[in-house]
Amino acid sequence: MRNRVILAAGLLTVMVTACGSTEQPAVVEQIVVRDRGEAAPVVEAGAGTTDLIAMGEDAFQVCAGCHVVEAGARSTAGPNLFGVVGRKIGGLESYSYSDALAGSELTWDEANLDEFLADPAGYLPGTDMLAGAVRDEEARAAIIAYLANQSSPSGE
Amino acid sequence: MNDLSPDEKKPSKLAKWSRRGFIGAGVLAGGGLLIGIGVRPGNPIGALGPKVAAGAGEQLVNSWVKIDTDNIVTAIVPHCEMGQGAHSVLAQMLADELDASWDNVRVMQAPADGSYVVSDTARMFAAPFTLNAADWLEPTWDGLFTQLGKSMDLLITGGSSSIRTTGQHQMRIAGAAARQMLIGAAADAWEVPAEEIATRDSMLVHEASGNSAPYSEFASAAADQPMDHTPTLKTRDQYRLMGRSKARTDIPAKINGTAEFGIDAVPDGLELSYAAVVRPPVPGTTVTSMDANRAEGMSGVLQILNMGNFVAVVADSYWQAQQAMNTVGIEWSQSESPVKTMDDQFAVFASALDGAGDTGGDQAAARGDAPGALADAATTIDAEYRAPYLAHAPMEPLNCTAHVADGKCDIWTSTQVPLMARSEVASTIGIGADDITIHQQYLGGAFGRRLGSEYVAMAARVAQATGYPVKMIWSREEDTQKALYRCADMSRMRAGLDESGALVAYDSVFTQRHDPAEACVPAMYDIANTSVRVAEAELHLPFQAWRSVDHSQQGFFIESFIDEAAAAAGADPLDYRLSMLTNAPRHTAVLEKLAEISNWREPSAEGTAKGVAIVESFGTIVAEVIEVDMTSGKPVLTNCWAVCDAGYVMNPDGFRNQIEGGIVFGLTAAMYGELELEDGAIVQSNFHDYKMLRMNEVPNIEVALINSGDVPVGGAGEPGLPPAAPALTNAIFAATGTRLRELPIAKQFV
Amino acid sequence: MASFILNGEPITIDADPSMPILWAVREKAGLSGTKFGCGIAQCGACTVHLDGQPVRSCSTAISQAEGREVTTIEGVAGPDGELSKVQQAWVSEQVPQCGYCQSGQIMSATALLRDNPSPSDADIDAAMSGNICRCGTYTRIRRAIKVAAGIEQPRTEQAGEEA
Repeated sequence: MRNRVILAAGLLTVMVTACGSTEQPAVVEQIVVRDRGEAAPVVEAGAGTTDLIAMGEDAFQVCAGCHVVEAGARSTAGPNLFGVVGRKIGGLESYSYSDALAGSELTWDEANLDEFLADPAGYLPGTDMLAGAVRDEEARAAIIAYLANQSSPSGE
Repeated sequence: MNDLSPDEKKPSKLAKWSRRGFIGAGVLAGGGLLIGIGVRPGNPIGALGPKVAAGAGEQLVNSWVKIDTDNIVTAIVPHCEMGQGAHSVLAQMLADELDASWDNVRVMQAPADGSYVVSDTARMFAAPFTLNAADWLEPTWDGLFTQLGKSMDLLITGGSSSIRTTGQHQMRIAGAAARQMLIGAAADAWEVPAEEIATRDSMLVHEASGNSAPYSEFASAAADQPMDHTPTLKTRDQYRLMGRSKARTDIPAKINGTAEFGIDAVPDGLELSYAAVVRPPVPGTTVTSMDANRAEGMSGVLQILNMGNFVAVVADSYWQAQQAMNTVGIEWSQSESPVKTMDDQFAVFASALDGAGDTGGDQAAARGDAPGALADAATTIDAEYRAPYLAHAPMEPLNCTAHVADGKCDIWTSTQVPLMARSEVASTIGIGADDITIHQQYLGGAFGRRLGSEYVAMAARVAQATGYPVKMIWSREEDTQKALYRCADMSRMRAGLDESGALVAYDSVFTQRHDPAEACVPAMYDIANTSVRVAEAELHLPFQAWRSVDHSQQGFFIESFIDEAAAAAGADPLDYRLSMLTNAPRHTAVLEKLAEISNWREPSAEGTAKGVAIVESFGTIVAEVIEVDMTSGKPVLTNCWAVCDAGYVMNPDGFRNQIEGGIVFGLTAAMYGELELEDGAIVQSNFHDYKMLRMNEVPNIEVALINSGDVPVGGAGEPGLPPAAPALTNAIFAATGTRLRELPIAKQFV
Repeated sequence: MASFILNGEPITIDADPSMPILWAVREKAGLSGTKFGCGIAQCGACTVHLDGQPVRSCSTAISQAEGREVTTIEGVAGPDGELSKVQQAWVSEQVPQCGYCQSGQIMSATALLRDNPSPSDADIDAAMSGNICRCGTYTRIRRAIKVAAGIEQPRTEQAGEEA
């Protein structure tokens, strides 16, 4: 009969993870943008801003869950959209497209992007992009302007 | 060290555990032989009343049960509910001993308070060897761990233990004691002998005098009665609720959207702000610079905080916080770890195993002379197995709501360890544990993930820094990539067979040994010469117990390798195992029943084959047969049969649900589970690349249960998992002749 | 800002039009039955009905709901709380374990049975494979769908008794 208390590894694990975070640095930097109770600035697509591309970058956030827009970056759930305007539909080598997109002969331009984003499955039946329609016309135009700005001649 | 020295007197090779059987047998036989099992000394309901029975008409009878004026009996359960059914089945056990009407039983989550630490559970986690103690030591260990457990925060849900510790050794006793107290109160009031009072469906009846009353009438007087700490418990033939598939009490709220999980907490009277966070991509690194210019201009943003080891954006809604968080540029410090890819990690393992060679490393278990027997064996086989890192990926991403104000802190979250979470918050934000309240919610899955509380401390820090009540939610990407993990590992295995093909020598060496200690030992098999060794190696990703813990990788290693031995012997894999289970009657019965229900001995259709595996874990023996269809060239899972012996099953349908779940969890890991590394950071981020088995890929599952009798009750949550992967890879071998020694499977058939 | 019908009642949500329906119903409308699981339409925990059709609310902006009908899990039971056939089957078959995914599962199953009252196993696969259950209740979900459809009989407690 052993007299020393042996901590089972499971408990030890719990203890270790507990101990591991007692060394917490203090807040390094705290940026207070606004206090609660202060009116939040109203952000609406087209509300008083002239920079369509900046608006588009903001509006693109709904797409950012599945798409990155960054030269050379690894695709996430959806293909990397850097260079998409002017790229063959289904044209990113490293991404595995649905048959609907892989089989298309077309090239993305601002006009067909507008049709696609308004109703993805309507424009390209069989697309994997089940979510992500942008019904708002202005938001769509802004997103497309932003994407067009993120397209270099070399595409990828 | 798990001593494999054979003890021929014991019926089971797992001799070490027969002592625990003594305690269990005492309870199940219902004899007065209960030895000091923990019910609170005295009956401290005075202090607890305001915490757990503050409603009008509610009366706490003992710490574990209250009865209200409508005769509703509420069981106060000290474990969390994460889908394993602990809330309902523990209440079922108390209600049975109490003779309560099941329709009028409710469940209440016990508060996160030291009063609710259960000695038996505490011992199981902290000092499992004490569960084998001599009878005369029971009261000592029990008393010690009631106190020690409190100071060590051992209010834990995990290890497939809620029913076999708290259920058997706390809830039942509390129910039986409460019943006696109610009878005592009625006997006093009616002035009749207590022995003449019967109880049934929350009613007290004295036939001779015609007196009867609902429990509610005597709840208050009952609380003043002396409490028997070792009441007589029901024998199996007396069970009315235990052993039955009573419908779970929490299911109605889980089908109409009203069940509150951690992420749903909306504390009364508090206006919440929301936080999104980013943690280091490579473990152990910290923020060196932060560019939040874009985030500052985004809608809803309140604050952006560099907390050193994570960054948080606090906003008016979680979505706004996450949108802004996505735009914050963060530079991280350089990691010192040399491991950048999984090749590097496996090279670290290989180096440790190379160092151990054929006989080196720490001896985890030994019997006979494995090196000698291997050298003399007629046939030897050897293999190297690998297993990847795996994420827990509960459907509810990690989250925590925290409020720090006036020197106090309130936390709402889903956790498996509320007291440890409380201590971690206390040491993190410098508020005393007594001024911190953990409000426990339902867990949207945990699988061991919520045994660590770093996320709770993070939320507390953000709440303290901002002064706001903050709900912090991890994105699925954070939950997948910045977490704690099932370890990867590598195992080198050797077996020696004699001329008849019998397995006479077994040796394995691997690098990861966490918990439970016996997971790496093929103890149930008659292998005369066995050596199990550990050559420790460092993990790049931090470890966290993952459903079935070491059994998850060791089950794959051992049961695949036993299958290789069977193949080398030219033997049927199931019969080969049976031939080595001559001293394990329960394992034998399980395999024989499995052979029957799976039609093991019938030839399979063309291109289809079956594989078998058997693993005993957490007190339950589970054997599985999986049938795979390889006609398309890729594995299609058609059928799975499982037979389980847990000694006795408290709720058969609930038990089956857990085994089905363990099988699906194990098959998901087997088919798809893998985390790759690039520059030391995890590549997979969400369910599109950390893939899950879905409705269209799960096999039919049939689970049969054997109640083998007076053995300790075994667990349900984890035991279904370990046999799944090896049963599948063994089936693939049977169908194709291809032996898979690495997981996951699907990518090997592209 | 977006105005739509939520579980039969008109509502106006004061928020960025690109806010996903998921977060609007959870945080603005106070209905927490619809769950967040992945944010990229991969897990189905956020499934609601938009004009009766199942959509992943994490990836559907409130601007897309403008003038339309949104139904969440809270809107499935009858006005007096009477459980739908699907919900009753979920109880009789004791489907949920942790329960977190089940709102989405029920929304997908409800839409399936409305469009296809007698689904085959392949129909069930197609309709339900977008909903992940990490606890692994798939076989029970399949059985519950068939019970709700009247293809199979509900489990009685006796059926699961004593092993």
